[in-house]
Amino acid sequence: MNKGTVLFVGRRLLQLVPVVLAIAALNFVLIKMAPGDAADILAGQMGHATLEFTEELRREFGLDLPLIEQFFTYISRLATLDLGVSVIQQQPVLDLILDRLPATLLLMVTAIAVAIASGVSLGVVAARRQGGWVDNVISVVALLVYATPAFWLGLMLIVFFSIQLDLLPSGGMMRIGVSQSPLALALDVARHLVLPALTLGLFYAAIYARLMRASMLEVYGQDFITTARAKGLPERAVAWSHAARNALLPVVTLAGMQIGHMLGGSILIETVFGWPGLGRLVFDALQQRDLNLLLGILFVSSVVVVLANLVVDLLYGLLDPRITHK
Amino acid sequence: MPSFSARTLLAASLLALVVVPAHAQKKGGTLTYTFHPEPTAMSTISTTAVPVALIATKIYESLLEYEGAGMKPVPGLAESWTVSKDQKTYTFKLRKGVTWHDGKPFTSADVKFSIEKVVTPFHSRGKTYFGEVAAIETPDALTVIFKLKQPVPYFMRAFQAGESPLMPRHGFSDEEIATGKIRTAKIMQNPVGTGPFKLKEWKKGSHIILERNPAYWKPGRPYLDQVILRVLPDGSARAIAVEKGEVDLAPMSGLPPAEIQRLGKLPTMVASQDGNDGLGPIMWLEVNNRSKPLSDVRVRQAMSLAIDRRKLVDVIWYGQGKPASGPIVSGNPNHFDKSLKPLEHDVAKANKLLDDAGYKRGANGVRFKLSQNFLPYGEEWVRQAEYLKQEFRKVGIEVETQSLDMGGWLKRIYTEWDYDFTSNFTHNYSDPTIGVQRAFISTNIKRGATFSNSMDYVNENLDALLKKAALLEDGPARAKVWAEVQSILRRDMPVIFLIEMSYSHIWNKRVHGLITNGISMYSGWDGVWVD
Repeated sequence: MNKGTVLFVGRRLLQLVPVVLAIAALNFVLIKMAPGDAADILAGQMGHATLEFTEELRREFGLDLPLIEQFFTYISRLATLDLGVSVIQQQPVLDLILDRLPATLLLMVTAIAVAIASGVSLGVVAARRQGGWVDNVISVVALLVYATPAFWLGLMLIVFFSIQLDLLPSGGMMRIGVSQSPLALALDVARHLVLPALTLGLFYAAIYARLMRASMLEVYGQDFITTARAKGLPERAVAWSHAARNALLPVVTLAGMQIGHMLGGSILIETVFGWPGLGRLVFDALQQRDLNLLLGILFVSSVVVVLANLVVDLLYGLLDPRITHK
Repeated sequence: MPSFSARTLLAASLLALVVVPAHAQKKGGTLTYTFHPEPTAMSTISTTAVPVALIATKIYESLLEYEGAGMKPVPGLAESWTVSKDQKTYTFKLRKGVTWHDGKPFTSADVKFSIEKVVTPFHSRGKTYFGEVAAIETPDALTVIFKLKQPVPYFMRAFQAGESPLMPRHGFSDEEIATGKIRTAKIMQNPVGTGPFKLKEWKKGSHIILERNPAYWKPGRPYLDQVILRVLPDGSARAIAVEKGEVDLAPMSGLPPAEIQRLGKLPTMVASQDGNDGLGPIMWLEVNNRSKPLSDVRVRQAMSLAIDRRKLVDVIWYGQGKPASGPIVSGNPNHFDKSLKPLEHDVAKANKLLDDAGYKRGANGVRFKLSQNFLPYGEEWVRQAEYLKQEFRKVGIEVETQSLDMGGWLKRIYTEWDYDFTSNFTHNYSDPTIGVQRAFISTNIKRGATFSNSMDYVNENLDALLKKAALLEDGPARAKVWAEVQSILRRDMPVIFLIEMSYSHIWNKRVHGLITNGISMYSGWDGVWVD
């Protein structure tokens, strides 16, 4: 890594600080604007709680303090990376998040891999046969998948692969209550991963296929492709080594931008498949006005998104050596 | 002869329990159940929400167990007890040789500690049950004496695993006790109880595994090796898991009603609404009695007449539950007034009442407009709101429906009191002084208290009756007071009673022995077995 790149990475990491603080502040205000607080929710869940009991909870959680004091307490704790304790679950927020993060990352990385691999290949294939029936089929299918709601697609995949064919499990991340060797466990998790990763990945695959196709067609019109063909390179090599590599840049850009979006999409997928990731935790935290937990998750996910974008920026340099980080 | 028929019902239900099916109990195996949301804690001290109560009652026990729909107290951790004549001294003899999950002996000191330091101050109903306790004495390791300031008729119902879970004194650090940090104590996440099962693994967002407590005090019990909770947030996905046999049991209406109806017809499944009488969930429309037109009793009566409760049960709730006839569920053998007739559905009468009350129809056929909220517990509650809107339109009441999430709903109804009417449900529990009094007594008009008298309903006569019932021993005299309460509330309609809800449980036929009493899903499941 050259000096320019190191400086670039350092600068980007520094940018993280104001971004994350702004996110924390915005979310704090937004959730405080929603009616009711965690003490209300908890007392409500318990049915027959007395008023004194609710007030007791509020004191215990520090929700009786002035708003501005709550905010500064939170921000100053955040500065020392102390995410606090979930008021509903009564556990350190960091523990709760670290418990769930690996599952979400596994699902997202697999989905991204599925999306890019299949999207890019289909895009290249379609572009090479522009106007032919293969191109048309790919375009129509991509449009269909793009327009299908993910939760419905997920349920249909369950009905087909899990109920009709009995090939794959309908939900969860692994078989529960049985001891397995590490290899068997990995295979078991992989089997459970297929349907959720497909459901989450196919939507993006459809986008990337269409984007890649368009991008390829644009690159095909450029002089260096004519040069490559004039050199007598086989068409396959022209497509994959010359055109595709250049055409990938917009796809990579979009993929980087969509990581945050995908994290949002995983809420739905994790719900349908009972995948024990962060997604559901966000939803529950919001419903239960679990301020610390919600802010903690948003903090961690904003860090993940910013870091993922940094990786994308570094990838540019690999794909196109003309791009340098100054 | 109310007491005779109550006893008959109790006897019949006990008999039904004694007649064990032809299968022989089998040791071993795993029962997997699913419920959403995932529990937030392992003890009902943290919260008494359903998912927590489901799992905590397998791990923790209290002094007594209960049999039958009438919840007859039977020996549990206490093998015998005596009650003084003035009903103010309860002496429990503890079972010998019981140990906590960590192997240490269970003693009277643990009982005293649990009730005084944990249950009374921190359980959401702790003060209701134990508020009248003046002192707890422990003359020896196996004797506990409760001295009450005045008699509490439902005191013997206090010792359910979910209501007063017993915890080991040694499970809490001195600091946790001294600073009152009970709800956040380490033991709340790593439970140590005396129950038939102990916590083996909790993978958040995925599952909880409970394993057999090999030192459990009932010989040969529990039958199961493991109880597993699978976390499946999506209703359809839960139904699929049950259908595929990946999950054995979905308790407490844990599936959408349409799915329960569909799966219940499969030959491999059992759908049951039994085993909930000790909870007695009852649904009503909570009505803000503060201002016109809802402050007029005739208007509330007319709204009640406008509703076809049978249709509500059959169409919206897929036949689960039955029309309510008052504040107490008909499955409560000791307090429900059996002479009550079903609440009428009569649109013409409703229209006449509203005419008489002076609310004439305008040119557009509308008498007045109301806003409606609904309990944000799922699609059925939304559909019910839509249905009610149609029914009320027939009597000239235009309804506008507003949607809020739980936090917003609680705030609107119980803190701001800014609503016209909303669907709601509460539990009777095993005694109406615990479950019913709360919503109607005028001393419970308190801003911010959830599930209290949000209606601003004040009836001094009723207050007096409720206070009287709270001190009477169960029997004909008390039943009479409750009958009067039911009749007053049916007439005044401070809320419009809708449905005796039923918790539907659906399980695979390989599971046996689940229904044992009025709180079957909150029992220890030591007698449950699988083929």
